[in-house]
Amino acid sequence: MELIRILFSRCAALFRRRRLDEDLDEELRAHIDLAFEENLRRGMSEQEARTEALRVFGGVTQTKEAYRMQRGFPSVETLVQDVRYALRQLLRNPGFTMTVILTLALSVGANTAIFSIVNALMLKSLPYAHPERMGTIFMRIQGPEPADERHDIDGRQWELLRDNAPSLISAVSAGLSSGVNLQADEKVEYVHAGRVSAHYFDVLGIHLAAGRPFSEVEDRPHGPKTVVLSYRLWHSVFGGDRELMGQTIRLKSEPYTVIGVMPEGATTPMNADVYTALQPSREGEGRGTNFDAITRLRDGASWQEADAEINRAWGSLSADFAKRNAGSKLSYYSVPLQKGQTAGLRPKALTLMIAAGIILLIACANLAGLALVRILRRTPEIATRMALGASHWQIQKQLWVENLVLALMGGLAGVGVGFLALRGLLLLLPDNFLPVASVNLDGRVLAFTLVVSLLTSVLFGMLPALATRKVDLRSSMAMRAGTGGDRLRLRQALIAGEVALTVVLLAASGLLIRTLIHLETLPAGFNPNGVMTAKASLDDARFRDQAAFLKLLDESTTAMRQIPGVQNAAVGLTLPYERTLNDAVTLNDGPNAGLQTGTDEVYVTPGYFGTLQIPLLQGRDFTGADGPNTQPVAVVNRTFANKFFHGANPLGHTLNKGTVIVGVVGDVQLSSGLNPVAPLMSEETMYIPAAQVNPKLIPLAHIWFQPSWIVRTAAPVEGLTAQMQRALASADPGLPFSGFYSMSDLLAKTLVTQRIEVALLSAMAGLALLLSTVGIFALVANLVAQRTREIGIRIALGSSIRQAMIHVGGTGVRASAIGLIAGLVLCVGVLRVMRSVLYGVHVYDAPTLLAVVLALVAVTLLAASIPVLRIARIDPAKTLREE
Amino acid sequence: MGGDKSEVLQGTLDLMVLKTLESMGRLHGYGIARRIEQVSGDGLSLNQGTIYPALLRLEQRGWINSEWGTSETNRRAKFYSLSRIGHKKIEEETENWERIAATMARFLAPSN
Repeated sequence: MELIRILFSRCAALFRRRRLDEDLDEELRAHIDLAFEENLRRGMSEQEARTEALRVFGGVTQTKEAYRMQRGFPSVETLVQDVRYALRQLLRNPGFTMTVILTLALSVGANTAIFSIVNALMLKSLPYAHPERMGTIFMRIQGPEPADERHDIDGRQWELLRDNAPSLISAVSAGLSSGVNLQADEKVEYVHAGRVSAHYFDVLGIHLAAGRPFSEVEDRPHGPKTVVLSYRLWHSVFGGDRELMGQTIRLKSEPYTVIGVMPEGATTPMNADVYTALQPSREGEGRGTNFDAITRLRDGASWQEADAEINRAWGSLSADFAKRNAGSKLSYYSVPLQKGQTAGLRPKALTLMIAAGIILLIACANLAGLALVRILRRTPEIATRMALGASHWQIQKQLWVENLVLALMGGLAGVGVGFLALRGLLLLLPDNFLPVASVNLDGRVLAFTLVVSLLTSVLFGMLPALATRKVDLRSSMAMRAGTGGDRLRLRQALIAGEVALTVVLLAASGLLIRTLIHLETLPAGFNPNGVMTAKASLDDARFRDQAAFLKLLDESTTAMRQIPGVQNAAVGLTLPYERTLNDAVTLNDGPNAGLQTGTDEVYVTPGYFGTLQIPLLQGRDFTGADGPNTQPVAVVNRTFANKFFHGANPLGHTLNKGTVIVGVVGDVQLSSGLNPVAPLMSEETMYIPAAQVNPKLIPLAHIWFQPSWIVRTAAPVEGLTAQMQRALASADPGLPFSGFYSMSDLLAKTLVTQRIEVALLSAMAGLALLLSTVGIFALVANLVAQRTREIGIRIALGSSIRQAMIHVGGTGVRASAIGLIAGLVLCVGVLRVMRSVLYGVHVYDAPTLLAVVLALVAVTLLAASIPVLRIARIDPAKTLREE
Repeated sequence: MGGDKSEVLQGTLDLMVLKTLESMGRLHGYGIARRIEQVSGDGLSLNQGTIYPALLRLEQRGWINSEWGTSETNRRAKFYSLSRIGHKKIEEETENWERIAATMARFLAPSN
């Protein structure tokens, strides 16, 4: 109670200082006056009375000081004083202060932006209840060809998992998100559909805002057609109508009963507009590993139990695998959902984090150099303060307070820069690129920024603070400001260190740039210019029938060829640069007769090769005569021919019991789904006429892929996309295109990861180069300023200006050269880890390294020569007179 | 200052102030200082200024109150008086001090 009263009174005093000081003055004056009057009454002279009163009182100033110590919190008050003094010092040196704050803003900003993403991806809990109880399943292969990756499952595995893992609530979703047509009010819209099994929302812990999730009956093959709407769609299309529950809406041209609505703001990993029941089975898509599994641990169960159950449930699979691959062992284990989802992005995010950390180190080296110079310049001031009685501790405290003030100001600016950088970065990313709903500057990011700023301040403040310990009173007082050449070595070492780190960043980003250039300039295998493409969803009841499907393709392509300016039009299930359908193929004859293997498969209409200008190397193109009831034919690409026929003529050979190869076309670049070893590559591809697609495969292919309509024009055609939409409408008025893309859009979409990597790492390398340049510049400029007298004397003694320039500029150049060599040595060790992300360029790529060396030489010369130009203006006579 | 005068022991000044206010009633700082000097005679060396931090300390604890008033010579001055808590605390502090004094006396008495 008493303690609280004392604390309260002291705190209150902090805010009423001036008023309390006045009170105290008045009270003490009254005291002296009273004593004075009494002394007078006792018969002293006025002079004696005053002296005696003051003597007995014993030191007014000391009393006030003791009183103030008792009154508030003296440490807080001196801190405020220190901060004020620090601010005054910083304002007195605006150049230094601005440089430090800008450097901090850029480096801390870069770290803040990158950390925000790392935070959102890896640290922040998923937006579901008890995210730590959610998992996904990985498989681990031990043996000669080890593997460790997320495991997609097929229909049989799903049934085994669902029925034999009682520790888990399990659910599956379709691996590829699809697009479907939603009819509402005479209008048809293309929306993103997620297909999920029963209990999917239970695993995510999502309680629907209205209605209920899919039942097990609805999730059975051929079960009732039901749909769960996202909150956004429910509002935008249906006006948030609560009466909608139990009503039917038309989806894929079929009636679907609305059974539920997602809560506002809730997301799923699929982030779809509508959800339908997956209805998984061992048939159809369930024959392949086309499902993603997610799990939630039931109350009271442990992950060990769950993993044991999974391995028991899938025991026959592991046994089969071991039989087929002697010496290998296959096992399954649960991985937290967040880790499983971000597995692919993790190394990239960590690389960027390391790069951001390097930026911070470089910034620290620069700042330490600057602070060191500044402290040396202030040595006389510090010596004076010490001579006047300031303790060593007080001086140190003052320096640290200055550092902290700088760090906090820089950190604040850094948060601003980081916020802007993050906004820009998110604009750069395509929709749904990151598997998280939002990336924010939350409390954790701000705490990180604060820690980084403080750490920076400690790192760059340490050197100068240590330097002051050696301040020698007598010599410093006598000395004029700003010599201290003995610190030059240290500053050169700092510069060399930052240049070395810059070299590594430059080389790394150079290699990524070369990779991107390589990928973007790969021979496409077709002519991407002048092609416009558009996708539509044929996962629709009206087009499951083969005749209706073929009629649509035929009439729409015919109508598109009528558009003035259009040279050719066609439809294909997938296009170059895109991921293709993978299917099994059996070779009936030829050198590999009997081989059953996988291949990329694309159905196309006649004119597909002509429209894309994919060269026909042998045989013939498809024609309108290749119909559903004629001889099944196929065209293969060059890789297919080389791989399976070893240069022999593949024409006339048969595949899949009766399909005759009638042509060979050139390879195109695509995004592999078969055996991805690079983001873009050519692999074995088999083209078949759309008219000869197995009627059973038509609906399935269209669940996964939205086919593309392509037209080629000789010159840009005004309103082309609108005319394409009209042409499609003439064949079917209720079918919307989901969007229009040029081939370069598709290429950009495929290479988006590489582009972002390049953009981010280049930005950081550029930042590093800028900071290093500033560092070299500051070193040399400072030397010129410090040594004006010395240079003056040298010139007076006969040294030429040129010699003086080389002498001073050389210190910066030498530091940079040492850093360059150290950086190249570092590259030898460090760049090897980049091997997995480089394509078409070697880790030790001579042009890249040469470019790095040239860039550094250029900026070093620039940074060193600008300040030495001032030497030419030194007037020896004047500098000597000043002495 | 004479070598035979005692310095004021930490804490004793507080009790002197409290006792002074108890016997004299409402009093200003100078009055308190003079009274302590008078009572202790020449046995104590007191810088009058040192009572001000002590007064502040007691006021922060809530043992005494202060208010501005007018002195006998018509000078504006700050007057101090015991609070309710202060009255109670005097007893405690007095007992406390007597115990210490008695203990010290036993230590200092010639051993016999």
